[in-house]
Amino acid sequence: MAIIEARNLTYTYPYAESPAFKDVTLRIERGEFILLTGPSGCGKTTLCRCFNGLIPHFYGGKLEGEITVAGLRTIEHPIHEIAQHVGLVFQNPENQLFALTIEKDVAFGLENLGLPRDEMRRRVDWALKVTGIYDLKNRAPFEVFGGQQQRVAIASVLAMQPEVIVLDEPTSFLDPLSARNILGVINRLNKELGITIILVEHRLDLASRYANRVIVMNEGQIILDGEPRKVFLENEAALIGVGIPKVVRLYMLLKRAGLNIGRVPLSPEELSKSIMEALIFDRG
Amino acid sequence: MSMFDGLKFRNISSPIHRIDPRAKFIYVLTFFIIAVFFNQLIPLLILFFSQIPLIIIAKVKKEWLRLIKGSSFFATIIFIMNVISLYFYSGYSSLASIIEQASAMTVRFIVLVESFSIFFLTTSPDMLGLSLEQIGIPYEFCFAFTTAIRFVPILAEEAQTIIDAQRARGLELEGENFMKRIRNYVPILIPLIVNAIRRSLELAEAMESRAWGATEKRTTLYMLKMERRDYCLILISALMLVASLYAWLFIKIPTMTQILNIQG
Ligand SMILES: Nc1ncnc2c1ncn2[C@@H]1O[C@H](COP(=O)(O)OP(=O)(O)OP(=O)(O)O)[C@@H](O)[C@H]1O
Ligand SMILES: [Mg+2]
Repeated sequence: MAIIEARNLTYTYPYAESPAFKDVTLRIERGEFILLTGPSGCGKTTLCRCFNGLIPHFYGGKLEGEITVAGLRTIEHPIHEIAQHVGLVFQNPENQLFALTIEKDVAFGLENLGLPRDEMRRRVDWALKVTGIYDLKNRAPFEVFGGQQQRVAIASVLAMQPEVIVLDEPTSFLDPLSARNILGVINRLNKELGITIILVEHRLDLASRYANRVIVMNEGQIILDGEPRKVFLENEAALIGVGIPKVVRLYMLLKRAGLNIGRVPLSPEELSKSIMEALIFDRG
Repeated sequence: MSMFDGLKFRNISSPIHRIDPRAKFIYVLTFFIIAVFFNQLIPLLILFFSQIPLIIIAKVKKEWLRLIKGSSFFATIIFIMNVISLYFYSGYSSLASIIEQASAMTVRFIVLVESFSIFFLTTSPDMLGLSLEQIGIPYEFCFAFTTAIRFVPILAEEAQTIIDAQRARGLELEGENFMKRIRNYVPILIPLIVNAIRRSLELAEAMESRAWGATEKRTTLYMLKMERRDYCLILISALMLVASLYAWLFIKIPTMTQILNIQG
């Protein structure tokens, strides 16, 4: 059974003249790692808000069509109920941390759920360890730097043990190294813990190697949806300004120049391996 | 400002830091009450000096000194006001006793500042929030309190950025005309307020996403528990209160002037 299923979903913000997205139909299976991308203003954030019920419960507006998340119709269930199945990590780490110590921030959601103290302790320690910030647990969230703050944000939704974690541009405030590390953490959540990941990202160079599926949106609609190796080759993707990974662009240039290296690469390592193989094959 | 720096918490560990905030508050309150009882210089000086060991144990000497220095401006005003009013309105004939009275009022002010600073310098806002929660204040208020503390430095930084940005575009903040100066602050206040509103919306969104309001019976990761040393402190406070009440009622406290035998 799909973990998220949307049928003909259309949403209009209150007082907005036109819908933020229109007629979106989407089926996401358990355990997928989805990369959601598209030009600014195409409705990615808006779609994320639908996944945990912020739309329509927090934002109001007009939501038409059907959306079920973890078997719950989001329109009928309050946010705090959906939040236990879908964790949302926002762009700005600063505005999603409340407490004066990191461990209390991670505990915040569990406190709200009224969990017993020993269970809470266990889950908080576990989430801190998985995200690699256990040693920082008594520091204040605003004392540590951006990459670590974003880890705190991830730990705090992870502690609630959701089936899905949605991350809305979690690396856009970070330097390249922190971004790479955060994406590694996110990948581990998916591969080791089996959590379904929906990652909104512009840095496709770093993120696409982890995803099994890429969804490209434009002007409120899904225009491409499929395996990264196929989607990045589409003309449309390049036309609307999706930042096609450099390794894929190099692959296409090589191909046009007459060197077919076989599989579309998603990381420099894959690319160099294919090139080596192609060259050896050529000589031999 | 240096005065407020004295109230800023620094995360260190000491026996005083470990005392339950509720017990510490009772102690500080007791001190406050005793300081208000007495208006003679000698007992107030005793109160002042009796706190110093606590400050040393708590390792907050530097902050405390800064605080005392910061409050010296107000202390001077209090002293001068008292000298003037005592000179005009009371029957005191000798200058020495006027000065003693005025000093007593000044020391009282410093003792009050001192005792509250011990409380705030040695109690983490986190613990304070937790104890507010545990004495039965609704969680929404406690949350607002800790969030405010968390965001004050961020907002201050943001204000500075906006001031710098507007200055770079030629905004004058130092002007001759007072009204004009006020008007010039508008371009700073508006972005600051807009930003604060946007930030609070994002915060609300993040809170909702973490199951805010899921249950009436919220639990907490930590629970403050009063221990023996905390009860001891409350007992000490009670004894101090009784003793000073006794002294206040039955002991005739000599003035400094009498001791030093200064003739009026
Ligand atoms: N809170 C809101 N109220 C009204 N309209 C909004 C709101 N948030 C977004 N919109 C509008 O909805 C549309 C989609 O915006 P959205 O933020 O979902 O785009 P996005 O793909 O996340 O863009 P970006 O890459 O810049 O984050 C935009 O036209 C935007 O102006
Ligand atoms: Mg967005």
